[in-house]
Formats: sequence, structure tokens, C-alpha cells
Amino acid sequence: MAVFPVRCIQAGMGMCQDVLIKNIQMKKIILSLAIVIAITFGLYSCSKDVIQEPDPTEGLIKLTEGYVPGAAVKMELYSKEGTINSGFSKFYIALYDSVTGNRVDDAAIQLMPMMDMGMMQHSAPYENPASSKADNHLFPCSVVFIMPSTAGSWTVKVNVKNLLNNKEGALTIPLTVTEPVKSKQKSFTATHNGGKYFISLIDPVAPKVGINDIEIAVYKKVSMMSWPADSSLSVTLTPEMPTMGHGSPNNVNPVHIGKGHYKGKVNFTMTGYWKLNLDFMEGTAVADSTQFFDIEF
Amino acid sequence: MKKTFLFILLLSYCWHAKAQTYISQMSDDSSRIVALNEIIVNSIQKNPQHYLVRFFKANSAATLEDILSRLPEVSLIRRGSYGMEPSIRSFSGGQINVLVDGMRIHGACTDKMDPATIYIEPINLENLQVQTTASGFMSGSTIGGTVDMKMAEPDFLQNKKLTGIVSSGYQSAAKSFFESAKLNYSSNRWAFRASGTYRKSNNYRSGGGEEINFSQYEKLNYSLSAKFQQNNNTYIKADLLADDGWNIGYPALPMDVGLATARIASVSIHHSDFSKLIYKWQMKVYANKISHFMDDTKRPFVPIHMDMPGLSKTFGAFAEGEMKLNKKQRLSVRADGSSTYLSASMTMYQPGQLPMYMLTWPDNRKGQYGIAASWITEIDSTLKLQLTSRADIITYSLTSTAAKDQVSIFGYSSANRNDLLKNISTQLSKKITKKLKATGSISYSERMPTASELYGFYLFNNSDGFDYIGSPNLKKENSWQADASILYTKGRNRVQFNYFYSRLANYIMGKVDPTLSTMTIGANGVKSYINISKASISGFEASAFLKPTVDLDIVSTIRYTKGKDAEGNPLPFIAPFKNLTSLRYQPGIISIQLESETSLQQNKVSYLAGEDQTPAYFLLHTRLGYATSIRKSSVELQVGVENIFDKKYYEHLDWGNISRPGRNIYAQVKIGF
Repeated sequence: MAVFPVRCIQAGMGMCQDVLIKNIQMKKIILSLAIVIAITFGLYSCSKDVIQEPDPTEGLIKLTEGYVPGAAVKMELYSKEGTINSGFSKFYIALYDSVTGNRVDDAAIQLMPMMDMGMMQHSAPYENPASSKADNHLFPCSVVFIMPSTAGSWTVKVNVKNLLNNKEGALTIPLTVTEPVKSKQKSFTATHNGGKYFISLIDPVAPKVGINDIEIAVYKKVSMMSWPADSSLSVTLTPEMPTMGHGSPNNVNPVHIGKGHYKGKVNFTMTGYWKLNLDFMEGTAVADSTQFFDIEF
Repeated sequence: MKKTFLFILLLSYCWHAKAQTYISQMSDDSSRIVALNEIIVNSIQKNPQHYLVRFFKANSAATLEDILSRLPEVSLIRRGSYGMEPSIRSFSGGQINVLVDGMRIHGACTDKMDPATIYIEPINLENLQVQTTASGFMSGSTIGGTVDMKMAEPDFLQNKKLTGIVSSGYQSAAKSFFESAKLNYSSNRWAFRASGTYRKSNNYRSGGGEEINFSQYEKLNYSLSAKFQQNNNTYIKADLLADDGWNIGYPALPMDVGLATARIASVSIHHSDFSKLIYKWQMKVYANKISHFMDDTKRPFVPIHMDMPGLSKTFGAFAEGEMKLNKKQRLSVRADGSSTYLSASMTMYQPGQLPMYMLTWPDNRKGQYGIAASWITEIDSTLKLQLTSRADIITYSLTSTAAKDQVSIFGYSSANRNDLLKNISTQLSKKITKKLKATGSISYSERMPTASELYGFYLFNNSDGFDYIGSPNLKKENSWQADASILYTKGRNRVQFNYFYSRLANYIMGKVDPTLSTMTIGANGVKSYINISKASISGFEASAFLKPTVDLDIVSTIRYTKGKDAEGNPLPFIAPFKNLTSLRYQPGIISIQLESETSLQQNKVSYLAGEDQTPAYFLLHTRLGYATSIRKSSVELQVGVENIFDKKYYEHLDWGNISRPGRNIYAQVKIGF
């Protein structure tokens, strides 16, 4: 009954009020009528809810929001985890018109991560949204935080060009990056060319006993501000359970699938602590054979 | 298609049945019955083995395993002093059926530490039936045969309402003792029976005095059974059997058993009316649950502590009946179905790390639905023909996502199975003269791969030191088997000789897969189960039961088996030539018995399976019995010395060449009222 007045107003405020004031005896009849109307409208709005598409940010956690000056949009930044760890971090950006509050699904977004260490600054690998059209109202993008915030402070400058009004502006977001218990970000200096490579473990996120997808991303540091994806290396994967001294069968070496991402299969024969050994080659030249990721589940 | 096959199978029996005439006695020459309480299933003719076995049961200190091992067809695979796994003519594991009262019981241990034989104490056992070849598959598709242990039933007693037996015994080799008791109560239409046995055994000493560590065990077995006599022809029976074993050592394995429990329950209805066409039938529903917890906490130098629990749950039902078609023909039929859930896992603990967990038997369910029929006809007064056939539909499925994920590691997209098993045999027996009878049979049978063979996940086999991995695509193993026997009877003397030859195809065995890395620390490698094209097992048994004078019995059995694979390599776990000879002199209330056990060297060994040669041995045992009655109680005393010469020896089927017990002095008293 608590919702009755609200529903009543929704159903037709004037009629409801008039009848109630003029004739108290009619109160019960009107009340019943109003309930019927309210329920009908209630059901209508309910069924409308079902038709409505689900919230695109469901399952995501909002990290921050802010107005992008010049672009006339409000920006919301989401991720799946809610905290940011060093390594490959995937973000989802939602844009709204700062006046109407409507979604802005057409925008060119460019990222620029920056680590300020006081004495020096450097950037990091990143992936801008693949398209200026939002995917389910969101713009997925990624930044590879190659170190935690303990050494300095991380910011990500998000440049937004609102394609609905062709206005452009940028928002710089400060982010705190923590180091996870098991590192998902490694780097090495290649023995064959002296290049500095950064590798990130993207998958498995939720490892299980059985077949798992493994995905890593490889980047090469060209300068402090340039960290392009690298597809020149071949990867050999050797899972190992150091406590027991055994590996696992039928693994598939990750192969390049684009943008420096390499995808393969890793088998875990039991839960516990596993080491994913990764050897990198360029042609027949060994780039590095010391890298590994720890996984414990 | 399968249903049509089954229907035709049944129809053909019915049709055959009409064309024949009457026989008086259903006979089955490939059955051995060990009648422990002088009760024998009347559908099966007494043969020389009954006498032989009645002889051995007279030593009431004997355990079920003692009795089993004295049957020429049976050998025991030994991993410790407890839970020896029966092998019929060198067929074991999934090649044979081990049933309790016709019920299927699947062990919950991935290492076969818990064969169903451990749940039956001699006090619970009414008789023991070992069936090979021609009728071995009557109660379940099998290529090796069936051991069925019939549980003791409550007795209806005329004079007394309440009777009981209390017995107690001690054995010196393991400083072990047992206490057991039985109570029977009967009224007009009801009869109840309760029994319990407690056994405690310490480490035993082998010949020469060495103590065999981790050979101890402790167990409690109890049963309750109630019988209601509805009328002269029908009774209803309910049985409950429980067995708890704990602190069970397995010297030949890297782990022991902390706790093993079994709960076995059944309700059955039995009917017999010899004036009717179907003169005997029974129906039974049953359920059992076995759980098994391995334990390594008492072992020194364990590289990594692990828990290995296993669970098996089975429910099932069967109906069987015997029909007198006419004067010369009888038909026995059986229909049964069962469903078994199996799951076993291993968790290893490394301090500072998350536990390492995996399924060693990925959760799976096996369904089994079969019908069988056996038709016996007397062609003339000396010639008898028996046809037996059975068809089974077997289904296997993985029941959890975790199980499916694990099996997918080896690239199997679907691991579920649906198979039809076919078994058929024909047996002809001919009375050549009054004293001489010859029997020959040919049979074809198939068996399903076991859960371990299909889904086993790095199951460590301490016998060859390999981790074993199941293959869900294994083919059914099958066997063509020929059996010939000659029986000579003269007065109370009987001599029988049996020869058998089995030609196996798609024989299932482990093959080294060098691409796989071991899981068990220190293992030699990994083997995957595969079908090899063919293998053969052949051999003979002979038994003699002689009674030169009224108070003297001589019993002697010999057995020999050999097996080879497609390349001619010997198969593993084949016992060498063995002879058992017993001499009993029983002038009155005292009996004196001398027994010898002779085993030749086994040099036909499977090096691939990690075997080595086993030396010959000769043992001598002596037993003394005294029976009397004090007031209204019967008192029976048994004393004896086994392995008199304290010989240090082991058998070829013993894992790890662990020496068997040395000189063992035992004493036992049994009081009945």
C-alpha cells in the first residue's frame, strides 16, 4: 500500500486527487480502482523493464568518473576487478552527454599512460578502443602497467573526440597500481638483439584443472614514450609443477593472433602451484629462455 | 537393435525349450561350490570339488582367503596381509566378477586394496561359488569367471529358539587374535541372525624372524539378517552387512589405509515350489556404499603428504529363476541391472602452498543392464548339452564438469560409453563309462573396460612403478575359451583333470607413453591403457580326493597356467605350478592333518610389467583338531603350526616380493550352544 500514492500519481494525478477530496464514501471504490490501475501500470512498466537491454556495465566495477572538458561528455571508467594490478589491465569507458545525460556511442578515444617517477617520466604499452563505435555502449581499451605505483605515480590521459558534436578534450586520471601476489608482468633484455621486451599474462584468469586458454601479450620498448606490440617472437610453453617435478601433457604453444597477443592452451593436471615457463625465439635465435609466470589455484 | 537382440535371444531359448524332454538334475560342471555349512545350492550338482572343499572348511581357523587360495582355480594377488585380490585362472580385476549374494560391489580404492572378499567373514559365509568358462558369465559379463559368496541365512530351528556360537583364536606370527560370535533366534515365521567378528593383527614376522613393517590391521565386521516365512514356498529376507577396517598396512604399497567402511544392504524374496513350471525364483534389490581413505602419515620419508579418499555407491536389482520345461530340459534365467557411482581424488599438501587436488577417478557412473539364460538338455542318458548366453548393456558417463575437464586434457571430447556385451557358451558332457565322464565346452565372452582403464588419472602402480592413464576409447576385451575335463569316480575316490585355453583379443594392458611426464614422485614413467591385438592364457588343474580307509582322507590339487601376449612375452601375474597335498587322519573326536604346499620357480615373467623371477618353495603345515561337548554345548579346539620349517618365501603374485609369514602357531576355540 505504501506505493499506492506514487502509483496513483503515475496513473493520473488530477482525477485521483479530486475524487478523494470530494467524496469520502467513494474512497473504497476509488482505492480499488486505483490499485487496479496502478497494478496494470506497474505490470506495464515491469514488462517494459524486461524488454529493456541489460545494463552494459553489469559485472563491471566503476573505478572513477569525471567530465572531459571540451568534449562535453562525462566519462566513466570501469574494470572487471575494481583494483588495478601491474600487468595487462582491460578498461571499459562509458561516455554520456554532459547536458542531456544520453549515452555517447561515437567517439574517438586515445589513451596515454604515464608513469611519473619524479626524475623521469615514461609511458607504457596500451591499446586504444578498436573502433570509434561503442561496443554495447562501452569502449574497451587496455593499458599495460609495467610496474606498480610504488615507484612513482601512474596517470592515464584519455583524449576524447565526441563524434556527435566534433568537440574534443582530455581527462587525466590518476590510478593506483598494485603488485599482485603472483606477478603477471615480466620483462627481459633479448640476448639476440639487446631489445627490451615486456610480456604480460592475460589468461588464464580463473585457472581450472583441465584445458585452459593461455594468452600473453608481448611489447617492445622502443623509447620512453613508445612501447609497440611485438609479433616477431615465437613462444614455447612448458608448464611445470616444481613441488612435484612434473609437467602436463598436450599443451599448445601460444601463437600470435594480432596486436602482440599470443594465444595457446595450457593443461593443469591438478590444482596447486604451477610455473608457466616461456621461451622466446626469433627464428632460430634465442631471445630469452628464463621467463615464467607463477599460477596458484 | 540391442533390445531386439535381447528379445530374440530370449525367444530362441523358449523355442528350444519346447522341443526337448525331461532331465532330473540341473548340472553345471564349471561350477565349484565350497559348502561351509553343509548347505549347497540344490540347482548345482555336487562335484568332486565340493568334497575337496568340504575337506578344507573342516579347519575352522581358516579365513575366507585361506579357503579361496586352496581352490585350484584361484590365486590371490597380495599387497599386504589384508585385502588379497582374487584371480581366477590368472584373470583378475575387470576380467572377473566378485559378487556377494549375487550383488555387485565395486571397490572404492583406485589401487584395488579393497576387493569385495574382505567384507565376508567365514562366520557370515554360507558357501562360495567359483564359476569359470561355460557358466561363468551367468551373473555378469566376464571373460575370467565369477566368485560369488553366499551369505549365511537365519535358520528356522525346531527345538530351540536361540542358538549361538562364540569363537576366539590367536596366531603367533602376527600376534593376532580374533573374536567372533553368532546368534540365531527363530520363532514360528520369523528368524533372525546376528554375527560379529573383530580382528586385530600386528606386524607379522616372516620366515627367519624378520618383522614386516606396515602389515598390521584391525577390523570389525557385523551383520544382521531377518527372514520372514510367508508360506511353505516363499520367504522374504533382509540383510545388512557392515565392515569397518582401520589402520590397515600394505607393506607392498607406499600408502596404508586409515579407514575403510562398507555398508551393504539388501531385501529379497525367495520362492520354490517344485510342482510348478518355474520351480524356483528369487528377486532382490540392493544398495551398498564403500568408502576408503588411504593414509601415509605413519610412513617415514614421505616426500609429500597426501590424502586419497575414494567412494563407491551401487544400487541394483536382479531376478533369477529356474524352469523345468519338461522331463529332460531345464532353463535358468536371470535379469539384472545396477548403477555404480565412483569417485576418487588425491590431495597433496606442500607447506606454504595451496593444496594440490585432482580426481584420480573422475566422477563417473556405470550402468549395467543384462539378461542371461542357461538351457540344459539331456540328449540321451549319457549325453548332456548346456547352452548359456548373456547380453549386457553397459553405459559409462562422467558426472561432473571437473571430471569432464580433467579427461579433456588428453584430447577426448566425449568420454561417455554405450556398449553391448555378448557372451555365449556351449557345453557337452558325456558319461563314457559309469566311472568316467568327459566334458568339453567352448565359449565366447566380452568384458567392459573398468573405470580405471577408461578414466584413471595418473594411478600409480607400485608393482611396476608406473603411473597409469585411462583411455576412454578402449575397445571391449573378448575371449574365446575352450575347456575340457575328465572326471574319474570310483567309490569314494575321485580324480578330475581340467584343461583350458583362452584366446583373448583386444587384451587391455598398460603401454609406456614416453611423451607423458610422471605425476608420482619417483615413478618410472607413464603407461596408458591400450588394447593389444591378442593374448592367450592356458593351463590345467587337477584334483584328487582319495579315501583309502574310513578314517583317512588324502586331497591333492595341482594347477598350472601360462599366459603370453601377441609377441610371445609372458603375461604378468601368472602363478607358477603349484601343488597342495593334505592328509587327514580322523579316528574319532580327534583329527590330525598334515599339509604340504609346493610351488615351483616362476621364470616366465613379464619384465615389461616390472616382474622378476620367483623362487620355488616347499611348506609343511600341521593341524590338530578336537571336538567334544560339555553339557549341552559343543566345544571345538584347533591348534596347528603353519610353515613348520619357518621358510622365508613369497609367491609370484605377491607385490614387492614381500616375504609371507614364517612359522605360525595358532590356537582356536569354538563353543556352540
